[in-house]
Amino acid sequence: MSTFEHLVEANVIVRIDVEMGLREQPMRLLYGTPDFISWLNSVLAGAQPSNRLGEATPTEQIDQLFYNFLSGFPLVHMRQFRFIRSEKNAVWELKTPDIRIFGWFLQKDCFVCVFGNWADEVKDHNLYRGYRIAIRRFRRELNLDDTFCVQGVDPSDVISL
Amino acid sequence: MTSFHFDIGSRARNAGRFISRVQSELLRALAERKKESRFSQQSLANKLEVHRSLINRQLSGEANLTLRSLADLAWAMDLEIALELKKPDVGPGKNQSSATSTVESAPIKVLNGVRSPTAPVPANSDRSESAEHRAKSA
Repeated sequence: MSTFEHLVEANVIVRIDVEMGLREQPMRLLYGTPDFISWLNSVLAGAQPSNRLGEATPTEQIDQLFYNFLSGFPLVHMRQFRFIRSEKNAVWELKTPDIRIFGWFLQKDCFVCVFGNWADEVKDHNLYRGYRIAIRRFRRELNLDDTFCVQGVDPSDVISL
Repeated sequence: MTSFHFDIGSRARNAGRFISRVQSELLRALAERKKESRFSQQSLANKLEVHRSLINRQLSGEANLTLRSLADLAWAMDLEIALELKKPDVGPGKNQSSATSTVESAPIKVLNGVRSPTAPVPANSDRSESAEHRAKSA
């Protein structure tokens, strides 16, 4: 059986942070799989969606999303985050105008990012079901029990609003 | 690797977070107006004589906000815009932006002539109980 420390020590998940503002400390936690970190690095290296919608660049959108999440700012349900399907151990999506990040809440205010992609790719190819199944499989292969996933699907179950 | 610092450089960070703040403020203002009265995105669209989808895209960040469109949205909500430019509040016990960026193409930035590789955590911060501490104690 895995524990939270095992996951970090084994590099299964990697802590993600961003530059915080003055007098600020993280009020939430963000982790990512090594594959997700590779995707972040590809965006940092200049990858762009085919048709950018947001005024902010993709890296700026990710920075502001991570910053808003980590700072503990209220996130707008549906506009900035939502569950993919109402079910036990749900998979959740973090959103910016051009980016979608899929993962799950390991505990309240602690999100694990597993997949990142451009919003238009996700919508054009309807990748929601595929990402949901892949994340459920990922957790199953890690032998994570229910204590490693927030059970509820109410927004207040997963983040402090 | 046990942690990954997503750093896009202070210039991009400043721009992105400013855009985010403006959008968040618009969403907050609209939510407050909705609470006060039967006010909606449709009301805004009607008052500004534009399609509701444009208002929705502006609020979601999918359509660029010009200064004029920002002023129009504030006018339609009967609100004033307060804008102030000021020097950053830098001092002891406060985080300082890192000097470097993880964006490959961005130049290394040096602030105040001193490179600070990591942002120090203020010992007596207002938010003394960090998320990590709460997670470990949970």
